[in-house]
Amino acid sequence: MNWTANDLDLYMQQQEYIDTALIPLVHIGSGGGMKQSASSAEFLMNLSAFIERQFKGRIVLFPPFSYTDGNDRSRLASEWAASISDMPFKHVFYLTTDPAWSRDGIIGDAIWIPSIPLESMDKKLKQSVLEDQVRQIIPVLTARWTTE
Amino acid sequence: MSNTRVSRRQFLNYTLMGVGGFMASGMLMPMIRFAVDPVLEAGLAGDYIPTSQKVSELTEEPVRVDFTYDQVDGWYESEVTGTAWVYKEGDKVVALSPVCKHLGCTVNWAGDSAHPNQFFCPCHAGRYEKNGQNVPGTPPTGPLDQFEVKVEDDLLYLGATKPNELI
Repeated sequence: MNWTANDLDLYMQQQEYIDTALIPLVHIGSGGGMKQSASSAEFLMNLSAFIERQFKGRIVLFPPFSYTDGNDRSRLASEWAASISDMPFKHVFYLTTDPAWSRDGIIGDAIWIPSIPLESMDKKLKQSVLEDQVRQIIPVLTARWTTE
Repeated sequence: MSNTRVSRRQFLNYTLMGVGGFMASGMLMPMIRFAVDPVLEAGLAGDYIPTSQKVSELTEEPVRVDFTYDQVDGWYESEVTGTAWVYKEGDKVVALSPVCKHLGCTVNWAGDSAHPNQFFCPCHAGRYEKNGQNVPGTPPTGPLDQFEVKVEDDLLYLGATKPNELI
């Protein structure tokens, strides 16, 4: 499901099946890091849209949550965790290309994937690269669904 | 050169008729063309989307076929990739939609190692037979949709989806 009114209508009816929130964490870099962060964001958004399509009936894809270097990551994380826990999701997956979240243990179970610059690829290559990435993430998701 | 003499009057007549006729036809031709246009229009191919799948390479084992088309949604224009599971049944080409009838996830052929000859939906373990029939006892409530199929020069074209007709 996407974060749209129509999809959320369906979500309201099918909460027992749609039990997972997927939240992309997007870093907004400044100065020389702008282009790099844009490239990462592009990759992350493409990837999360792909995952949404694959698991439409189980995952709600949240609008990307963006933050800058000036934000205090641990404060953001605890505020998010508090708000999400009020929602009826059994599983919350954070997806990011920023290693700081899981490395520093802020969100220990954030799914970190290395960013791949998609901007110079043609459509076919882009799709197969994304497919490969999704194929690596699927076992992580299904493992959490079965254990938690 | 012929010896018939052309009088001034005749010459002017011919010239005016020629120029006038040319101008009149310039006006009439587009009108006639517009009037008969609906008759001349070749039978539109519907909205068949070409794929790169060669029909001669298909077997009875379903394979994934990707295709792309443009989608305009409000101001947001995007290129959408669609997928179909395609196999041959006798001489007939069957293309099934991968969209699970439960909540719209994408199903995979042989996605579950315990059921290698079925479509499997990873979201809630829904299963379908090869012809798209949903397996009773799993969440899906109906069979997978089918694509309209067209073969041209050995290439596969996919049209709109329709309810499953194999069952």
